[in-house]
Amino acid sequence: MGKVTKEQVESTLQSKLNPSHLEVIDTSGGCGASFEIEIVSEQFEGKRLLERHRLVNGALVEEMKEIHALSIKKAATPDQWRQQQESEKSASNAA
Amino acid sequence: MKMASRGGVMISASTLATPPSASSLSTGRAASPRILTLPHSNSRLLVNHKPKSKSKPSAISPIRCGLSPQLKTTLDKVVSSHKVVLFMKGTKDFPQCGFSNNVVQILRTLNVPFEAVNILENEALRQGLKDYSSWPTFPQLYIDGEFFGGCDITLEAYKSGELQEVLEKALCS
Repeated sequence: MGKVTKEQVESTLQSKLNPSHLEVIDTSGGCGASFEIEIVSEQFEGKRLLERHRLVNGALVEEMKEIHALSIKKAATPDQWRQQQESEKSASNAA
Repeated sequence: MKMASRGGVMISASTLATPPSASSLSTGRAASPRILTLPHSNSRLLVNHKPKSKSKPSAISPIRCGLSPQLKTTLDKVVSSHKVVLFMKGTKDFPQCGFSNNVVQILRTLNVPFEAVNILENEALRQGLKDYSSWPTFPQLYIDGEFFGGCDITLEAYKSGELQEVLEKALCS
């Protein structure tokens, strides 16, 4: 496998973890060396953060051979995600 | 703020120590950190990504060398003989990666004594640890003999206060 693209990371995560929200950012300026990920999936339900990260790492095992740095900014369940969105919204409303 | 001189948080690396001459990968700096002793480690195990080593990697070098039983035993000992162990790129005082530096700074902020192991000095260790922890990247933080997480997890746990709890429990036990 050569260069890893943002699209490739997205489609792998899409098919393996069926996320309801997914954001992949190439933080290496397009060279495919480092990515930041925000992912919301039902598969995280009942799992500790470490186990959630392991799921993401496991899904990207092929890509990881080429990626230098993978930063998982968020690995939330749909419920947690909804709560976070709402608290952010009410915070910005209050401001 | 200069953190380098905070000797108070340092603990002895005696169980990890090898004589300075033992490592062909050592940078040769006087203050160079001591490295893990790897029983029966040999050059065949080394996978060289950097032109740092004297010997050229042979064509049959495995891409991943996996975890030898000896290395596993050594790592079991290392992570169980210290409450907090950080496998990182670079040293406490000279982290060579932003992610490793983040975790060092968190541990220092919490004033936690920890053992740091520079995985850049030993390629077999670096590859073996990925299998040992089932974790693809560095840094890797161990608390009370258990893999706690990488940089993201440590940072998030620090923000939520969970890290402080886990550390407190570990250091009191």
